[in-house]
Amino acid sequence: MAGLQHPFQCLRYVNRQSAGQSDILIATAGRNLYSYDASSGQRLDLWPQPVDANVEDKSSDAAPASESQAPPEKRRKLSSTSEEQKGAKSESKPKDSNKEASNSWTNIPLVTVAHGKYVVIMTSEDKCVRVLSLDNEGKLQQLSARTMPKKLSALTLTPDENNILTGDKFGDVYTFPLIPSGEYVKVQAPAKSYEPSATNLTVHTKRNLESLEQQMRQAALSKTNQAERVVLNFEHQLIIGHVSLLTELISVTRPADNRVGKRNYILTADRDEHIRVSRGVPQAHVIEQFCFGHTSFVSSLSVPSFEPKVLISGGGDNYLLVWDWLENQILQKVQLPGSEGETTVRGIWDVSLAPTADNAEPVKAIFVALEGCVPITIDNIYNPPNIKSRSSQLLCYALESDNTITHQHTLQLSGNVLELVGIDSRGSILVAVDTLRQSDSTSAWKSSSQPPLESFRLSSGKWIPAEDSMVIKINSEGTTSLPTTIEQKEEKELNDSMYNLGNLRKRGDYDE
Amino acid sequence: MATQKIPAKRMKREEYRRNVQAQQESTDAVIKMPQKKFFRQRAHANPFSDHRLEYPLSPAHMDWSSHYPAFVDPDTSKTNLSGGRKLTKEVEVVDIGCGFGGLMVGLAPLLPDTLMVGMEIRTSVLEYLSSRIHALRSQQQRLKNKAANPSSTEPQDTSTQPESAESTAPAPANDDEIGTEKIFPGNFENITAIRSNTMKFLPNFFGHNQLSKIFICFPDPHFKARKHKARIVSESLNSEYAYVLRPGGLLYTITDVEEYHHWVLRHFLHGEQPEGAAPAPSSKDLFERVSEEELALDPCVRVMKYETEESKKVTRNKGNKYVAVFRRKADPEWPA
Repeated sequence: MAGLQHPFQCLRYVNRQSAGQSDILIATAGRNLYSYDASSGQRLDLWPQPVDANVEDKSSDAAPASESQAPPEKRRKLSSTSEEQKGAKSESKPKDSNKEASNSWTNIPLVTVAHGKYVVIMTSEDKCVRVLSLDNEGKLQQLSARTMPKKLSALTLTPDENNILTGDKFGDVYTFPLIPSGEYVKVQAPAKSYEPSATNLTVHTKRNLESLEQQMRQAALSKTNQAERVVLNFEHQLIIGHVSLLTELISVTRPADNRVGKRNYILTADRDEHIRVSRGVPQAHVIEQFCFGHTSFVSSLSVPSFEPKVLISGGGDNYLLVWDWLENQILQKVQLPGSEGETTVRGIWDVSLAPTADNAEPVKAIFVALEGCVPITIDNIYNPPNIKSRSSQLLCYALESDNTITHQHTLQLSGNVLELVGIDSRGSILVAVDTLRQSDSTSAWKSSSQPPLESFRLSSGKWIPAEDSMVIKINSEGTTSLPTTIEQKEEKELNDSMYNLGNLRKRGDYDE
Repeated sequence: MATQKIPAKRMKREEYRRNVQAQQESTDAVIKMPQKKFFRQRAHANPFSDHRLEYPLSPAHMDWSSHYPAFVDPDTSKTNLSGGRKLTKEVEVVDIGCGFGGLMVGLAPLLPDTLMVGMEIRTSVLEYLSSRIHALRSQQQRLKNKAANPSSTEPQDTSTQPESAESTAPAPANDDEIGTEKIFPGNFENITAIRSNTMKFLPNFFGHNQLSKIFICFPDPHFKARKHKARIVSESLNSEYAYVLRPGGLLYTITDVEEYHHWVLRHFLHGEQPEGAAPAPSSKDLFERVSEEELALDPCVRVMKYETEESKKVTRNKGNKYVAVFRRKADPEWPA
């Protein structure tokens, strides 16, 4: 395992034992999506396949499953694409589908799995939601690619797993079917000539009147209608909108109680400290509640599967809030290490594990990872300070019977925590750690890569490293390698794609 | 910012505004009405920018006591979550984008027992309105004192009638310089103005079903299609208006831009559906349009149409005014 390798950015564990099949681990690293056999750790598939005919000096050999065959030139290719686009002057993008498939993204920040046989991903730069089939052998095949108007910050499914929910950086939440139903015919507005919405009744100043006149002339001149936009060219619905940057979106089902039946909700969080509780589809336009309590952006929401009445939220504050979310009631404010303006919650994960040999009791735990957050100011925009944080630690909490959480202990990992997933069947958790950056740093790189996965199990109240043949196998194979020489700019881009929560902080800019 | 020469106009404006400020702080001076010309500001603000806004953590943290001193609950033990005194009633009318406040001033005597707030994102304009409300209140106080004490030393002013019964337009023709010489119901104690970006922070100020009326008068039309996202009316924002409006509450809109009027209608009402098809569920399910007959009887519509600064300007320019009012329906039943 020579050189630097991409860390795993997302992990999903696909439980298929009920269907009589072996479990599968889905992971993303760099621009690739991986599937692994969960018992052996054998890599089952790599998507997209690194065979790429139109890439120069790239040996398109036939050994797709072998490691480090992914195109290491992707950074260079990307920049050439952007040059091309610049050259093409932002008219409709060059639509060479082959090229697009190989060039247009560098990472896959969002993944979810539907029905155990579909993997839904968002590829970052091209803002594309792609649905892939996951077959019995773990092979991945793209079924559809739908381009969103803005980059997504959250991707999830409706409770029936038949519809995708997306939240984007413009604050909009869309829903659309997992499997597109038939041909989408865009509702074509009858072609009508352009008519400025301003009239000489509504604008009065000389300059405005002149520009109105000009608009009229222009309209008469160019009868051509605009090129059809490629985005949202599929059946979809806009269901929720924040006038803010949406940071998180989760879909929750509250089981029936003695008063009301089972109800679905959508919880959304934004950069303006809001947590909004809306009804589930198809009534997502009905807002039920706002949860007020954060004084900085909210980045993570978690409603534990084992206690759906409770919400744990975190963001740019140096505390977590535990909520009775339907009542806008704060049950607990949990102080986090670090001072205000420094601490950022990267992720909150709830894990419930079946009893194992070590543990007679089922495990119900909450894990929290922090991110070293560098506030961007004019002074450090090109040279962000290397702030030490606690991002290589994992804080473990237990949910008590009164719906508060208590800190159990803190796990130290070999690198920054990126993602966590619980593996119910073997009573362990799997943690993806950053292979590139030094522990507790978001910008300083290591000299050589480390294994991307770590595994822990609970033993007499303590999480201890677990021996797991799957993890050993995956770590030994590693992920895709980075090119041996990386320019500083590219390094920064890679850092920014992995650690970007600091940008959400408000800067208190000048006014008006 | 360059520190060289400040233009004379700006110097003058700043000095004027400092004087207004000083005048408000001294208690004995007769407060003059502020003049709009010193408070002009570019008509557009970017609703997506952070600005430097102050807003409460939640509606329960909002301290209204300094805004409505006449309505502060005498029981000093009643405080809200931020420690401010509570009011005897809740705010229930909001003018979104109130501008220079013509609507607020016009509505104040019509609904003297209803607390109303104008929200405006532009600082100078807001400063004008705050000064104006302050001046109106102190003027009313002076008139009341005079009425209660007719033998006072102040001569002239035979026109002053306490509690005029007429319900016609209370605001004078030129609301700037003249002010009013008449006692109005409510004495303008029921109106106030706050700087806010309602597109982001409306729910920070008002709770679920708190409001009975929302006014959106002559909103920034954002003509360019690229800017339509900045419009104050959209299906997703309408969800928020529905959240703060109580069932039966009204949302008033008026604009002089015909295209915007159709935009408003399109975003509040279901369009014609193809035969047999039910409209897709959306926030349009939460509103119904109020009939013309009903509007003819609503005095608020008249104030909105003739007494806001913008409506006067439209009248002057012989423009058209398009009114649409929507009633908040009850939330739909949960799906079974």
